[in-house]
Amino acid sequence: MSIYLDHNAGTPLRPAAQAAMLRWIADAGHGNPASVHRAGQRARRRLEQARDQVAALLDAPPRTIVFTSGGTESNNLAIFGVMRAAGAARRKVITSAIEHSSVLAPMIELKTRGCEVLTLAPDRDGRIDPAEAAAAIDHETALVTLGVANAEVGTLQELAPIARAAAVHGVVFHADAAQAIGRIPLRISELGCDLITMSAHKFGGPAGIGALYVRPGCAIAPAILGGPHEAGLRAGTPNLLGAIGFGAAAEETAREIAAESARIEGFAFTLLERLIAAIPGLRLNGPLTGRIPNTLNLTFPGVIGESMLIALDLEGVEVSMGSACAAGAVEPSHVLTAMGRSAVDARASLRISLGWSTTADEVARAAEIIPRVWQRVAAAEPEMRSEAPR
Amino acid sequence: MSVRVLAAMSGGVDSSVAAALLRDQGYDVVGVAMRLVPEATPPAPARRGACCSHEDFEDARRVAERLDFPFYVVDLRADFAARVIANFVGEYIGGRTPNPCVMCNREIKFDRLWQRARALEADFVATGHYARVGRDAADRFHLRRAADTAKDQSYFLFSLGQKELARTLFPLGDMTKTEVRARARALGLANADKPESQEICFVPDGDYASFVERRAGSGRIRPGRLLDSDGNTLGQHRGVHHFTLGQRRGLGISGRQPLYVRQIFADSGDVVVGAREELDSAGLVATRVSLVDSAIADKGEIALEVKIRYRHPPLPATFRMISADSAEIRFRNGGPAVTPGQACVLYRGDEVLGGGFIERALER
Repeated sequence: MSIYLDHNAGTPLRPAAQAAMLRWIADAGHGNPASVHRAGQRARRRLEQARDQVAALLDAPPRTIVFTSGGTESNNLAIFGVMRAAGAARRKVITSAIEHSSVLAPMIELKTRGCEVLTLAPDRDGRIDPAEAAAAIDHETALVTLGVANAEVGTLQELAPIARAAAVHGVVFHADAAQAIGRIPLRISELGCDLITMSAHKFGGPAGIGALYVRPGCAIAPAILGGPHEAGLRAGTPNLLGAIGFGAAAEETAREIAAESARIEGFAFTLLERLIAAIPGLRLNGPLTGRIPNTLNLTFPGVIGESMLIALDLEGVEVSMGSACAAGAVEPSHVLTAMGRSAVDARASLRISLGWSTTADEVARAAEIIPRVWQRVAAAEPEMRSEAPR
Repeated sequence: MSVRVLAAMSGGVDSSVAAALLRDQGYDVVGVAMRLVPEATPPAPARRGACCSHEDFEDARRVAERLDFPFYVVDLRADFAARVIANFVGEYIGGRTPNPCVMCNREIKFDRLWQRARALEADFVATGHYARVGRDAADRFHLRRAADTAKDQSYFLFSLGQKELARTLFPLGDMTKTEVRARARALGLANADKPESQEICFVPDGDYASFVERRAGSGRIRPGRLLDSDGNTLGQHRGVHHFTLGQRRGLGISGRQPLYVRQIFADSGDVVVGAREELDSAGLVATRVSLVDSAIADKGEIALEVKIRYRHPPLPATFRMISADSAEIRFRNGGPAVTPGQACVLYRGDEVLGGGFIERALER
């Protein structure tokens, strides 16, 4: 059996989500929530139930949740929706260099539309300086968009001071929480954000469904135009089956998160400890504390990460590296280079991400296989240009 | 545990069938497509047919899925740039005409990829080349022409020595191209009738001179004079990299008789042209010589055949080493123009004895 350690890319479907989806398919399976007839009413009821479940995970009022096709669409809706609604006097956006591509690519587009984009640089651990971010917010700023937890290295950002500064200046604050939700307990009241991106398949829901939390009163326009679905913010018949799986996964996650988070933190710590003991010069990217517990981004000395990644896959250990290009080859992580790592070190780094399905046995096997594979790859295909361990 | 083979797959029919044959023979096949060509800036026009395009990777991936073995795209762009493209550019700047396929085989497929094979616990690297590897009673490896003489690619593989041949498989060596295509159709491979790629993969538009200029930068470009054999200036040219020895077209000058490039002097920039018969040579000096079995280096002067270009018929010749890695090759019956930079490959009948790169012609 292979050992799946790539939960940040997408988690296995939780049995609760699978059961809920199968039940809907078996019992009804059709009906448009916008229809008047009883099939439509039944579908609508089920959709709203899922919305309640998703809202409960954030302790948010249900009507603040807008279903989307996933994290990428939520980020696009947040960014373009806010910029469309903002007045001509506010054309500035603040973000960081370590955001997901679904934030970075819209930033490039905004620049071509004449917006000013301020891109904050992280420190060596992937932290954005909250004081620097807060100080950059002014009366010309329309939007601040930052990730809660970084997908590649797991660094948690200190967002509360930035959210306060945004509120003072009447600036919309969008938090991309795709990697944080389901990894650590999060509450709307503590985040203090106007918009929050969620993605179902990062915590046991199906891929193809996500949501954007929209604080009541937040000035945002739709990005997809059409019918009056999702309070007019997202046209198109909702993905009901996906929403049902999303809701069930959210409900189970809300119930389990304290215990699950502690269990995964223990696993990750054990794995890190054993890998550090077995691999001289191994380095953890990101801070030791102030991180989501499931993510270990490691620089393996003297190897090409791509080679390690493939060798591990052939041994049944599934991890990831940077992001895949269109051809399926891997590119070094832009997050690591933004954190000051050399291209060679970025290429020697792998992301190991645990999740709800990870077992103690898998961790023990991975802790045995990874050093063995590292030794073989380093001997067969040495990368001599790595930086010396610090 | 079966023997693991790393099968280099381009997405073309040959390497696909090669991988399929190995799988049928019981090998544990791991397919890899190599990403070699750096992204052109600005983006290259349609690259249909040239390898390393996304469609080619997808073709290779589909074959692996259909035949149910693991498949990966591996990024060897940096190695390819450093070891193949840099050499290509340097050779043109130096007034020679390189053969990048030979360099790619030697430096990438049978060296760099072999490292990757070891990292992945594979015992062999396999490719879809048409050539044969054999092993004799004394455990020496031999490289031979393919059964399909029209497709034979042994020319491009001359630099493989004992070490490399011992870990290399060419599953198509005994097959004809027709058989390979039939096999691909029988296996249901979607690329069975895909056309073959011909041009140099990293210069898909075929404009080598512009490629060299972009890569080398203007500081290394050497313009100069076009001269006749008596030293009279016939015109000027924009750089020695525009010329290949034996070239007739595109000289920008006209004479009473057709003129051909006879000599290229990279240092001064002088390019000498002359009549066709002035090009003929008595043989050549080869450098960077490698021998499949190094024992023949000690045998003094030996008789063999030499191929001076891929599509040129073998010429009877005598061969002797004149230094540790250079050799003199004399054509038995006189010979045609030879092109510095091209590979010259030594044969005895079907067997490849080795080869090198043409340094200069021996005058008649």
